[in-house]
Amino acid sequence: MIGFRLSAQKPPEARRITDDVIQRFEHIYEVDPAKMTIIEQQDMPAWDTMRIVDSRWEHLAWMHDHWADAVLTAEDLGEGGPHPDG
Amino acid sequence: MNTFVAIGDTVVDELRAILGDEGVLIGKAARYNRTRVPAPFPVHRWAEYVPDLVVLPRTAEQVSEVVKLANRERIPVVPRAGGTGLNDGALPLKRGIVVDIKRMNQIKEVDLVDRTVTVGPGINMLKLNEELRKHNVMFPDDPASYPCSLVGGRIGTSGWSLIGGRYGHTRDLVISFQIVLPTGEIIEVGDGGGRKIRKSSSGFQLKHLFMGHQGTLGIVTEATLELVPRPEMEFAAFFHYPSYTAAWESTGALAKSGLASLGGVVLFDEYKLRYLRRDDEAYIPRPDHVRAVVATALYGTRDEVEPAARRIMRIGRESGGTYLGDEISSGDWASRHDRYATPLHGRLDTGEVVPMSWHCEDASINYSQLPAVMEKWHAITARYAEKTGILDDWGMFAYTNGAYKPWGDYLTEIDIGIWEQKLSDDNWPDWVACKREIAQVALDHGGSITACHGATREGDAELIPVEMGGGFDVMLKIKAALDPNNIMNPGKYELDRAYGLDEKVFR
Repeated sequence: MIGFRLSAQKPPEARRITDDVIQRFEHIYEVDPAKMTIIEQQDMPAWDTMRIVDSRWEHLAWMHDHWADAVLTAEDLGEGGPHPDG
Repeated sequence: MNTFVAIGDTVVDELRAILGDEGVLIGKAARYNRTRVPAPFPVHRWAEYVPDLVVLPRTAEQVSEVVKLANRERIPVVPRAGGTGLNDGALPLKRGIVVDIKRMNQIKEVDLVDRTVTVGPGINMLKLNEELRKHNVMFPDDPASYPCSLVGGRIGTSGWSLIGGRYGHTRDLVISFQIVLPTGEIIEVGDGGGRKIRKSSSGFQLKHLFMGHQGTLGIVTEATLELVPRPEMEFAAFFHYPSYTAAWESTGALAKSGLASLGGVVLFDEYKLRYLRRDDEAYIPRPDHVRAVVATALYGTRDEVEPAARRIMRIGRESGGTYLGDEISSGDWASRHDRYATPLHGRLDTGEVVPMSWHCEDASINYSQLPAVMEKWHAITARYAEKTGILDDWGMFAYTNGAYKPWGDYLTEIDIGIWEQKLSDDNWPDWVACKREIAQVALDHGGSITACHGATREGDAELIPVEMGGGFDVMLKIKAALDPNNIMNPGKYELDRAYGLDEKVFR
């Protein structure tokens, strides 16, 4: 236990992605809280958001390992990587 | 008209004698939790479909005794496996006894010489494959419910597998099975005789008669399954396109590649991308020129997959696709094995978020008809969304549907969110009409209503006689012959007509 750290508690300020989506962390899209009045958005500490994201990546890695010994990517073939505009 | 009798204390005592006290559940929670499946359900009438009790057998003999008792007393019996179905096969329309088979989850034999595994119907594929991994083999049946559905339900629905293009679907991967008939006899069915025989010309092909039975012809109590070598390598590639038409043409080129290691090809339409982009499910990049996506996946030995992957990349690009990158390709593909982990919420036309359950239409449509069906399905959905205010179009996928030759027809899916809390006797008929119009389009285009879920819901079921034509009369005769008292999952597939009844699926 390393004690209280404000950065672990308080999420960064959101930036708007679309009319309906905001983003606080890279690759993590959130519904605009203004669109959530029937079901209210929870306040989540930053560490809890990152825990859920890490857990998701662990799950996907587990699923890869479950289905095959190795994952081949286009980058391994020398023709991968994200497309510059994609 | 309901010809069934209520369950009395004497019957409960007899069931406890067969199954033990812990094998008979009469509590409210146990019964209410086994009333429905994820498919949209008339929640405003939930109480009308609660089973009278639940039994949890461990052996085929116990199942047989339960069914004999039910047949004698004219009590409806509904088998239930994982309860993950996107149709109503496991839903007790006439109450009665739900036979929950999840305690029949043993691995009985692993035969590495003749390449089979024999299991109880209550085992889950993920758990089975964890055990099989130590032998370097697997049972490659891969539904969206892979972590939570059970082998018995896969047989009951004649399931579809995400990687069926390489390994086949449930009907191809289940070699034979044991089933308790509605009168209690225990029989083995396969491709002819022989529990581990894959191909036979002896007699009728009874495995295929009972495959997809939806609980209307018996209860599966054991299955012998195919084993394949555990894949050495997986490769997934996602491409994006400037239009649906471009993506559809590329889908055809990829599916017809002839690569034996090709597990499947998946086409995402513009509505699906719009849905994925609008909130936290989004993996798909946002530029406006990304209008449709095609996903492919390969499985096999390293020697197969590496050259096949180069060819897939070449075909994808030459047919107009732009590679979406390794992170999306491998990450999103891994998530396709587990779609039930997706939190379900939808949007009103104001953009407001509301909880919604998931309707997944699953017609089989020929490749040539996909664009026209897509247009009609979205138009129908938009019309009823406007009328009811409780529907949300979540877009369409088309998945290669053929086993080993994945190019002729597609599991064609439109996902629709439905705000169940707002269902009522006023708007339920609108939902059913929407469903029926969607299914009718599939038939109008020479397709089948359902590739993998079954068509036991109102809105589907009444079109089964239309789709089956003269074959439906044969279904009625088979049902009446095997189930003389209509105890096995009554009310499904319009099979009540075999007994002179003509009821709506939901009252």
